[in-house]
Amino acid sequence: MRGSVYFAKRVTLAAGTVFVAITLNFILFRAAPGDAVSNLSRVPHASPALKEALRHEFGLDQSKWQQYWLYLDQLFHGNLGISFADQQPVSHDLTVALGNTVPMVLLGTVIAIGLGVVTGTVAAWRRGGITDQVNTNVAIAFYSFPTQWLGLMLLILFAGVLPTSGMSDEFLIDPTWWEHTVDVLKHMILPSATLALTLYGEYTLIARSSMLETLSEDYVLTARAKGLPNSTVVRRHAFRNALLPTTTLVALSLGYVVGGAILIETVFSWPGIGRAVYQAVLQRDYPMLQGAFLVLTLSVVVFNLIADLLYFRLDPRVTE
Amino acid sequence: MSLLEVVDLNVWFDLPGSGRLHAVQGVDLAVERGERLGLVGESGCGKTTVMMALMGLLPSSATVSGEIRLEGEDILAGGEDTIRPHRWVDMAMVFQGAMNAFNPVQTIGRQIVEPMELHGVASGQAARRRTSELLEMVGIPASAAKRYPHEFSGGMRQRAALAMALACDPKVLFADEPTTALDVMVQAQILMRLVELADELDLALVLVTHDLPVVAQACDRAMVMYAGRVAEQADMDVLFHDPRHPYTELLFAATPDLYGEDHVVSIPGNPPRLDQKLVGCPFAPRCPKAMDVCRREEPLPLAIGTGHVAACHLNSPAREATA
Amino acid sequence: MTTIELEARESAPRGRWRFGQLVKERPAATVGAVLLALFILMAIFAQWLMPYDPYHQVGPVFGTPSLAHPLGLDDGGYDVVSLIIQGGRISMVVGFAATLVATVLGGGIGILSGYFGGATDTALMRMTDYFLVIPDIPLMIIIAAVWGPSLSHIILVIGLLLWTSTARIIRSQVKSVRERVYVRRARSVGASHARVIFRHILPQVAPLLVANTVLTIAVAIFDETALAFLGLSDPTAITWGTMIEHAFERTAISAGAWWAVVPPGVAVSLVIMACSLLGQAIEDATNPRLRVAHLSIRGFRILPRLPGKVADR
Repeated sequence: MRGSVYFAKRVTLAAGTVFVAITLNFILFRAAPGDAVSNLSRVPHASPALKEALRHEFGLDQSKWQQYWLYLDQLFHGNLGISFADQQPVSHDLTVALGNTVPMVLLGTVIAIGLGVVTGTVAAWRRGGITDQVNTNVAIAFYSFPTQWLGLMLLILFAGVLPTSGMSDEFLIDPTWWEHTVDVLKHMILPSATLALTLYGEYTLIARSSMLETLSEDYVLTARAKGLPNSTVVRRHAFRNALLPTTTLVALSLGYVVGGAILIETVFSWPGIGRAVYQAVLQRDYPMLQGAFLVLTLSVVVFNLIADLLYFRLDPRVTE
Repeated sequence: MSLLEVVDLNVWFDLPGSGRLHAVQGVDLAVERGERLGLVGESGCGKTTVMMALMGLLPSSATVSGEIRLEGEDILAGGEDTIRPHRWVDMAMVFQGAMNAFNPVQTIGRQIVEPMELHGVASGQAARRRTSELLEMVGIPASAAKRYPHEFSGGMRQRAALAMALACDPKVLFADEPTTALDVMVQAQILMRLVELADELDLALVLVTHDLPVVAQACDRAMVMYAGRVAEQADMDVLFHDPRHPYTELLFAATPDLYGEDHVVSIPGNPPRLDQKLVGCPFAPRCPKAMDVCRREEPLPLAIGTGHVAACHLNSPAREATA
Repeated sequence: MTTIELEARESAPRGRWRFGQLVKERPAATVGAVLLALFILMAIFAQWLMPYDPYHQVGPVFGTPSLAHPLGLDDGGYDVVSLIIQGGRISMVVGFAATLVATVLGGGIGILSGYFGGATDTALMRMTDYFLVIPDIPLMIIIAAVWGPSLSHIILVIGLLLWTSTARIIRSQVKSVRERVYVRRARSVGASHARVIFRHILPQVAPLLVANTVLTIAVAIFDETALAFLGLSDPTAITWGTMIEHAFERTAISAGAWWAVVPPGVAVSLVIMACSLLGQAIEDATNPRLRVAHLSIRGFRILPRLPGKVADR
């Protein structure tokens, strides 16, 4: 299979990065001065029993190196510690939070990508004209709006019409699966829309510049010289090639989206991983913070890997 | 009736901001079946623009006027719609730097088959067979069809581009600097093949280049361009032995001769800017034989002998009368 | 095909650029530059421009917009116009300062990495890669939370995360400049590394650095609003970010006081837009891509032929 060597190499590199991220995580939270875990007096509401349990769990009576090994071992078994706030395993809380974030972010990014690629391509095709200028400037505008402010604007505009807080209606008694899904979807509209609007501008600009670059390539001229109608040239030759850098750049940006959704989740009180990070900061819930941060870093590494592999798959020029 | 006849071709390019650049001015030319014509001049003289105009491949910043007659039919009149049906089946092109003429994500074979299927020349199995024939005709193994462009060297891609250009059996082949980007050995081979093929297929060849030896070797006639205009046009040997334009003389003199002891003459100065109105002959500032009238009046192309045209006041009858 | 662009561009007008010409040729850059200049002027002359003292209450909480207060009053009864002006000063200072940190750090690492190559390059680039992988906003949140809220911490944090892209861009530029003949000649004559870097490489890299700096300012200001929104900035400071945060936290929305929310966001957006336009334009200017689109929706134009030969038109 073409690329098995490349695939293996990239995965290994990614694994290496993950390992460094894990270690950095440890350093940031445990070894750096002012870290709260070792300074148990900073843990809110810590009863003596809890302190003792924590001390044992984190091996705080041992050296830093031993703590590190303990940390790696726990990580390997999926143990991310216990949240200070709700005494639940961090891995459990994170899974729930992530499960809430992913659909919302997925909806928003899919719309953003679709909208961005379409407007960007059209703008490039009609370069210099009104369509191009309007599309490009509107994209720049949305790209410039602070995410939280955009969310607030939507909130103000749609306050009476769409739900603006939380993921579901607490007053819905015993909903059926269908009712529950619709309810969640209704709550998802505003946060996803905010994400879509805040992201699409960048994608428009990427798609446009990529398409313009492609349209000035010699093979486009050749295709035209062969007598192909314009629409075929664009579809078969230009677009396919323009998609290449667009795809990689979009994939790369996706890694950061999950972290960036923090602002949106705060505005709309969406119980996702972003909001979890924020609340963990407020509550000084360090295990939670550490776990969430690790997950977010991992998502960047994973998407970088995906971008790499996608590019390899799509461009025959890339060799192993 | 000539195969291809161009009358009073003018091309302007819009400049960013404002203003226009008059890249091609009043060009007339004719190409007969099986003839090999060279378009020669310094870079920026308009020769590539002329070629692009003939194929209708100018960008949207261009404005064109004139007549382009292909077998008697004016194809420019209706713009894209009248030109497009003739692309590749009647007029085909090999670009400068044809290395990049291929779409990197498609195989060579696919791209050669494409115009055949488009114009109904062949499809399916027949098209693939024809592709193999074409590739072998230009000196590439037929198995190359399954490979991607980046897998080949520049020289091989150039040949493949030639094969692709011949796919629909055109009547005229435009070649823009077909050998410039290649090393000398490969240059000679490709040029030779090009001329052989033109003979075999009774193809009219229009060779655009700044490289005089190439034109001297490969062409029957040549048109020398300067500042967007035709300086001189004639059969090759007439051009060489009886040039009637100082620019032509200097061009031939500027080519170093390996075997002779001639000094290499270079032409000092630069071509004029084309975004401003010019008074007089565009070559006057650099011309060693410039006269007063040259700076006042622009010389129009004058017929000197059969098929020999030159735009220079030195040839005007009034001048000759007083000589 | 390059010949066409050459033929078209070789005779492009040079010479003195009048302002009108500049606007026509690069409207985006002009708009961006003017807008940015206006905001900078506003920040510099803040004291004289503010109609009221932004630290004192001048009316009722959430006072509606009126002639005296065109943008109304916020949750503390402060005049919003004055807040915007004062906030702008601090927001922009934070943005510029953070960018300074990022540029110095990123530019420095980029130059060192690109110039010395080899092991230095590999080491620095590995480090850059790891920094790149860390998601910005969460890290900023955590560091700001651990170090405590203050503007100087915010500046440092933002700067520490934004240097990576600058480093990469500068590095590749330095690599290509380093190979140029006059640089190698300078080295062979015995010029010290420092001399070569400052006299030969830096001037070549400067335009790109400027473009990158402008674009970084936009991100820095954005990040400041994000951190402020999450309560991690100095709560007593007046910045556009804290204004948005106050509006959110102190129920401006349910009170219907849109004038407390909209203006700071508009201000931030305008500055970011200005920076983006200007930065992009500078980048385009330093990297002229003489490439013509071979295909676009409009084709070339055809002029009907006038009878007789026309020598020029």
